[in-house]
Amino acid sequence: MQTLNYRFPATRAVPGAIHIGVVASGDLEILVQPPGDGDATDSAAVRVRTSVNGFDTVWHDVLERFFTRIALAGTWELNDFGATPGVVTLRLRQAAEAAGANGPTS
Amino acid sequence: MLTRRSFIELDALGRATALLDPGSVRVLAGPFDRLESPWLAPQGITPQADDGTVIARGTADGRPVVIAAIEQGFQGGGTGEVSGAKISQALLLAAAESRAGAPTAAVILFETGGVRLQEANLGLNAVAEICSAILDLRPLAPVIGIVAGTVGSFGGMSIAAGLCTRLIVTPQARIGLNGPAVIEQEGGVGEFDSSDHALIWAVDGGEQRCATALADDLIPDDADLLRTALIDAVHGGVTEAGQHRSQRLDVLASRLATLDPSDPPSPDDLRRLWGPHYTPVPEPPTAGATKVDHPKTRGRSWLRALGGDATLEQVIPSVLVATTKTARYLAVVPDPDNRFYRAREGQVGLTESLAVAQAVHDLIEADKDEDVKRAIIAVVDLPSQAYGRIEEMGGLHQAMAATVDAYHRARNAGHPIVAFVVGTALSGGFLTHGLQANQILALDDPHVEIHAMHEAAAARITLRTVDELNELAKTILPMSYRVEDWAKLGFCDGLLSVENADSPTQADVDKVFTAIVDATERARRGPLDLSNRLGSEAAVATRRASRAVRELLARQWNPE
Repeated sequence: MQTLNYRFPATRAVPGAIHIGVVASGDLEILVQPPGDGDATDSAAVRVRTSVNGFDTVWHDVLERFFTRIALAGTWELNDFGATPGVVTLRLRQAAEAAGANGPTS
Repeated sequence: MLTRRSFIELDALGRATALLDPGSVRVLAGPFDRLESPWLAPQGITPQADDGTVIARGTADGRPVVIAAIEQGFQGGGTGEVSGAKISQALLLAAAESRAGAPTAAVILFETGGVRLQEANLGLNAVAEICSAILDLRPLAPVIGIVAGTVGSFGGMSIAAGLCTRLIVTPQARIGLNGPAVIEQEGGVGEFDSSDHALIWAVDGGEQRCATALADDLIPDDADLLRTALIDAVHGGVTEAGQHRSQRLDVLASRLATLDPSDPPSPDDLRRLWGPHYTPVPEPPTAGATKVDHPKTRGRSWLRALGGDATLEQVIPSVLVATTKTARYLAVVPDPDNRFYRAREGQVGLTESLAVAQAVHDLIEADKDEDVKRAIIAVVDLPSQAYGRIEEMGGLHQAMAATVDAYHRARNAGHPIVAFVVGTALSGGFLTHGLQANQILALDDPHVEIHAMHEAAAARITLRTVDELNELAKTILPMSYRVEDWAKLGFCDGLLSVENADSPTQADVDKVFTAIVDATERARRGPLDLSNRLGSEAAVATRRASRAVRELLARQWNPE
């Protein structure tokens, strides 16, 4: 298991806590919470725990692409069990949809 | 067909939501409470924030219900310390609520491969606590099990399924003690071909379990129909004492008498032989008990030594008892001529489960008018449960449920139960014969091994080498095979060193006898349930997560 931490610029905070997905084979769960007291409101802090080591760059690119389009500030936790980039993006979009913020479609 | 809402395709929260009245669902100890397993990340395994078990309170047709839904996608639904504690605590809180005048039914959605081997001994104990909690609640409010699939219910949790007031299944469901792959691994492909799906469902499948009365309702994979069946079961209320499947030793005995392992019935034959009702079947004439030349094993040696002047009686050749004025000693021992050939080395199989249950039951009956109930000492030296196709076809999980039920009944009737581990105490065997005790003692000896699965098998299943497993066990306490590590988990009430563990000396016997008497006294003074396993000094240090789960669920039980 590898733990990766990222920070991306963001413009508005998620309105409330959101939970999506399951730590199942080829899948992941996402927990999102609004920025707490003292947290930056202009960025998304992302922690990824993944069962597959060595994909730092791929994670960075997938997340950057997402946060460029949907700049939701807050604390993001991704618990991953070998999801492909496609599944990761799908789950991120589901979280954004639950936050009422599915920005421009690609 | 197109309007049917599949239940199986839902995740655990979706399943719980589909069963409860719309808008009534309240999740307790959810993902944002972050009660994840403390044991997985150190092993390089990604944890899940709610440890893969959803606890939800709500109503079903207006009646209060608590659901424990196991998420099959996470670690195959395996029972770990946290997920197990969530289920047992939900059951205990439902029992407290019911006692306080608001009967609260519990629903368990069983989708599990059994004990999570990465948390081995803590998972095994969690299953024992769940079984005990089901039995605590069952007289007060119905406990309804649902096995929908696709994982099904396997391992010790199937014993829990066997204790439920009512068991609802789909045709996709499977229920068994040992899964097909484990049986093939232990007994060879001739014993069980785990690639033969038709065979698997013929033995373990929901239709077969219903047709042989090992489950109650066969419902298609349809969320609305399952909800209707659940509401029906909730309205059905509790079952009369003595009438639960796990209490009907008469039915179990008559059914097992019809099973001939040398000429086993096909699964279809079994339906005709046993029928869809859990009532006694005609028994064929049986040959009288034969004199058995028992191999000398630790279990037998200690049973003989502790029994003193009492004669060793055989309930069946593989289950021996010695009864004194103050206690009944019980052991499962090897019987090289056992007609169930998968249980010849001292494994707990179908007939062993029944015999132990019967011996415990008989003592409860014999002492029912006594103020001071005799102690029951489970001398434990068993390699495991019996891994076999015939065992699964006959419902080993249900036979074991009868034993667990009997031990629980004895404990609650005031019989102190002391487990004394002198050799190996593995897996479902130990769940059946030992883990329902008030007090657990073990010999401090390198050949004493307490675990969820033997080393080689655990390594194969978790895709590790035995060396890797041993390396991990040095830091992950519940995975260790060393008894001194097991003793730190919180449920050891005494680790006893002796001069000769194989053939005890008189001094050894005296020492152990004193320890058993002390344990018996502690049991008489202590709680009737298993709560001392959480309150011990070792538990405070090691079972922090279990304790946190208990506290949080109790706090969140009622809305703020």
